[in-house]
Amino acid sequence: MGKPTGFMEYDRKQDRALAPRERIKNFNEFHIPLPEAERREQAARCKDCGVPFCQAGIMIAGMASGCPLNNLVPEWNDYLYRGNYKQALSRLKKTNNFPEFTSRVCPALCEEACTGHLHGDHTAVSNKENERAIIEYGYEKGYLGPNPPSMRTGKKVAVVGSGPSGLATADQLNHRGHEVTVFERENRPGGVLMYGMPNMKLEKSVVLRKTGIMEQEGVKFVTGAEVGKNLSAEQLLNEYDAVVLACGAAKARDISVPGRDAIGVDFAVNYLKANTKHVLDESVKIPPELNAKGKNVLIIGGGDTGNDCLGTAIRQGCKTAIQFEMMPCPPAERAASNPWPQWPRVLKVDYGQEEAIALYGKDPRIYQTTVKEFYKDEKGKLTGVKAVQLESKKDEKTGRMYMAEIPGSEYDYKCELVLIAAGFLGAENFVADAFGLPLAPRGNLATETPNSHNTVNPKVFAAGDCRRGQSLVVWAIREGRETARAVDLYLMGYSNLPGYGDPT
Amino acid sequence: MLQQACWTGSYDLFKQYETAVIGEDRETNLRSLIDIVYPEDGGIPIEEVQSVEEIVKHFRTGAMSYGSLSPEAHETLAVAMNHLGGRSNTGEGGQPEERSAPNADGIWRGHAIKQVASGRFGVTSHYLVDAKELQIKIAQGAKPGEGGHLPGAKVYPWVAETRNSTPGVGLISPPPHHDIYSIEDLAQLIYDLKNANNQADISVKLVSEAGVGTIAAGVAKAGAEVILISGAVGGTGAAPRSSIYNAGLPWEVGLAETHQTLIQNGLRNKVRLETDGKLMTGRDVAIACMMGAEGFGFGTGPLVSMGCVMMRVCNLDTCPVGVTTQNPELRKNFKGKPEYVENFMKFMAQDLREIMAKLGMHSIEELCGRSEFLKTKRNIGKENPRANTLRLAALCYDDAPRDQLHFKEGNSYDFHLNKTLDARVLIPKFAESLKTGAKKEISVKVGNTDRTFGTMLGSEVTRRFGNTLDDNTMVIHARGHGGQSFGAFLPKGVTLELEGDSNDHLGKGLSGGRIVVFPDRKSKLSAEDNIIIGNVALYGATGGKVFVNGVAGERFCVRNSGATAVVEGVGNHGCEYMTGGVAVILGEAGKNFAAGMSGGVAYVLDMSNDLYLNLNRELVYLETVTESEDIQLLKQLIREHVEATGSVKGQRILEDFMNYVSRFRKIIPKEYKEMLELTDRIMGHGVDEEAARIQAFYSRRKEKRA
Repeated sequence: MGKPTGFMEYDRKQDRALAPRERIKNFNEFHIPLPEAERREQAARCKDCGVPFCQAGIMIAGMASGCPLNNLVPEWNDYLYRGNYKQALSRLKKTNNFPEFTSRVCPALCEEACTGHLHGDHTAVSNKENERAIIEYGYEKGYLGPNPPSMRTGKKVAVVGSGPSGLATADQLNHRGHEVTVFERENRPGGVLMYGMPNMKLEKSVVLRKTGIMEQEGVKFVTGAEVGKNLSAEQLLNEYDAVVLACGAAKARDISVPGRDAIGVDFAVNYLKANTKHVLDESVKIPPELNAKGKNVLIIGGGDTGNDCLGTAIRQGCKTAIQFEMMPCPPAERAASNPWPQWPRVLKVDYGQEEAIALYGKDPRIYQTTVKEFYKDEKGKLTGVKAVQLESKKDEKTGRMYMAEIPGSEYDYKCELVLIAAGFLGAENFVADAFGLPLAPRGNLATETPNSHNTVNPKVFAAGDCRRGQSLVVWAIREGRETARAVDLYLMGYSNLPGYGDPT
Repeated sequence: MLQQACWTGSYDLFKQYETAVIGEDRETNLRSLIDIVYPEDGGIPIEEVQSVEEIVKHFRTGAMSYGSLSPEAHETLAVAMNHLGGRSNTGEGGQPEERSAPNADGIWRGHAIKQVASGRFGVTSHYLVDAKELQIKIAQGAKPGEGGHLPGAKVYPWVAETRNSTPGVGLISPPPHHDIYSIEDLAQLIYDLKNANNQADISVKLVSEAGVGTIAAGVAKAGAEVILISGAVGGTGAAPRSSIYNAGLPWEVGLAETHQTLIQNGLRNKVRLETDGKLMTGRDVAIACMMGAEGFGFGTGPLVSMGCVMMRVCNLDTCPVGVTTQNPELRKNFKGKPEYVENFMKFMAQDLREIMAKLGMHSIEELCGRSEFLKTKRNIGKENPRANTLRLAALCYDDAPRDQLHFKEGNSYDFHLNKTLDARVLIPKFAESLKTGAKKEISVKVGNTDRTFGTMLGSEVTRRFGNTLDDNTMVIHARGHGGQSFGAFLPKGVTLELEGDSNDHLGKGLSGGRIVVFPDRKSKLSAEDNIIIGNVALYGATGGKVFVNGVAGERFCVRNSGATAVVEGVGNHGCEYMTGGVAVILGEAGKNFAAGMSGGVAYVLDMSNDLYLNLNRELVYLETVTESEDIQLLKQLIREHVEATGSVKGQRILEDFMNYVSRFRKIIPKEYKEMLELTDRIMGHGVDEEAARIQAFYSRRKEKRA
């Protein structure tokens, strides 16, 4: 550990964020990194705990606590503090293929599990920003140029989907010496990293920087290739020694109520994708029904995607924006039943909400509310919704809690754009159908055991959200790494790629 | 999970924790390779088993010192165990005196078990009298062969005060007890402690090692009432990594060996056997009990219940939960409560009860040593086939009669204390003084079989008066050959004057009393050239004065932390590990003088100019005596020496003092000196002494860290 008393000497300090009114002028990232010396002081705050919960990645009370990738947080914090960036980078990259992504988009499970958080005074070590500092120093100093494998195995692997799990699988297998081709149906690689998250959260140049390096290292990217359309399962199975399906849990949960077909009601992913395509190439216009400019916007869903929609709508120049969330508002502080190091179920105010508060003066989230009907005018355009309040009830038969409508609590809300960000229901069926694979009860690709990546077809593997259900980027990367090991074992009979203990 | 269980008092959660621990433990320790075989009749209803309240009386907390633990944590353990009727252990760092008696609110914050370890930190007569059990720590399970070590950064002024040492200077307990070089010496120490507090049980803490059974048998014969077998995985917070990984054996091995050896020697009924070292579940306790333990020590469990998150920084003073730090800021984060520790103990007891019910056992006594219920698991260790090759039957060996398996009340060793001179002569003769504090002088003849002379009287004085009597309230003129431990732990107010000579351990643990020794008046030997007292005099002394008209043996004043002594020569290893007090040596000092000395001062008359060669210069400066304060003190002490003993040499020096002064050398530890100077400087700015000490401590530590 760099400095045993660091946590007593330095306070937690974070990168400065541009003021909300300033940053909504464009779609750029808006954090200004701390000066190097201060960043290293932040790394000195790490206590190198005897039992480092930050890197544990264990399930407590059904929620992950600590990093699922088992990132060696205390080690690289120490190297960062000492200014040994190269070593820090090597320890960071050991467990994480894409620190440049996770350090921007991860909810930082490590920080919530940090012993610094123990007393609830928000003094966790700023691991996420430290991670970003390490990887960006690495790029600055040129440590991260292409590093192709010295030997090739002659085996060919196809990876379908270029989201974080697909990329992680590809990166691992490529460095192992296999010849990897990644197929992506969109026009740019990255999957959810490219079109699922807006540019201000993860700048697309960062994604392309990495995929570019991967290309130079030998990974082939084929964009605009969609299974079942211009790419057949037979073709993949014939031409490649193994096929990895990493196509995400893209089947969005719908709100099936009257008027759903109104123009101006769409899924969040479509909205975000259209906007990012425009941001990256101004000649690609946003369809008018998906442009929030001048509109009253309602976002259904209070999660991360909902927040991304909110930030995007604000940047597009919406008139107002609110969010409906079915569940009750979480407490501001940890409940007694939710102690450290459990993942904290507390109210978080993300960037989009910050901006909404700055513009409209109040938190845009309305809890325990959902939509009962969409109203449209004669042209089929959305004019508003009928909202209804909910309360938590216990099902007499199953004993489970569920949210029930409160009779008579309906009210109308006027809006011209509704974005549905209510989560995902698993993999899109057509991929499974094309490969003749069964689905598990929750709509994900079924694997041999809940923890394996092998499907019924020995040649075909499943990685990421399409196997696991919607989750975090860190889980996706872990999935990719696990899958790469499974593929390698299948192809070679042995594997020196890292695995994980009992996967949770 | 354990923490939450203890905080919320949820036994369900505790059971979940236990399932997790047992699950994780699959093949990690010996007890996890052993099955408990339950009788087929299903046992007895749980109501017939001893209650939780009875069972917790068999529970102890691990020895964790004041200094290593924060005052809050140290106190919490004591309050919890006293409330439950179990016993908590001070560890070897003493205990602030104000915690000895229950407060106005009726809560007793003192520890029932007082540990006496090789460092003898804070081991005063008062400390000993204040105990229900005195534990001699021979070694620690996690690091056998090493002594305790409190890093300087944690020796805050209040810790130093309790330990009679210098703030900011690290404290190392020597690996051996300097008064124990054989089992006979250990027997002597047991006897000393029994004299120092005849109401306390004497316990000896051993570690699990090959041959521990033989040692334990010796300890039992020496009269110990309790033997603790400490396992390898205990005490790991601040033990050196090399020791954690490589030293010690599991308690299962040592406990079983000890239990069986004691049975074979017919000694098992005479002692209570305890064990510790990561007893984390009721199952662990049950197995320990069946292997022969009737007392159980817990360290990790109580710490976790007080908030420990296993940072493993116990040695750095940066514990973020205020358990093992002295830093006042971090101590504010301490959230532990006695109830949490009590919950832990109760859960363990309840868990144990459930197992006992299934086994059909009514009490710990009945369960103790019943290894017929233990069976080595078969076909385990798919991942680790070597686990199958272990033959653990030897640990579960059992063919002794049932009544030989555990301690029997009234069977303890008889020390015949009522036959000692203290009991027969001193205490009756001073009966009046013991009531009123009146002055009295008596004369007795002593022989070298009168061991530990004056100690029991001293303990009575301490019980009644503490350290408040005037010097020379009770004066005993003794004549003859003093036995071992002459005047051990003597408190203030008692003076022993011995005409003749004395055996080893004179003034061991001296706590404020006075001891004067001079040769028989008829002796024609030259006092200054002849040894008059044996080895290890004043070991672990904390206060008082000693004047010896003659030469002392080896290891004089080792671990002295407050006594003042004048002697006319010493053997090898004088003043070793000294942390306080003054030693004046009017003659030669042997080799390795002042090794490991971190406090106090020694003045040595160096007529033959060989002190420099004999000195262990690692920690100390050798200086001439030039300051007037030093000269005054020296002269004063020699004058007192001459008055007390009639020393010829002393008289000679006084007569030509100015010439002799230039031949005196002052030995002072480097860090101690710097600390004193710094404190003086700060006091020069008008700061009072206590505040100055604290300031000096912080500024020194900052310098060191920078």
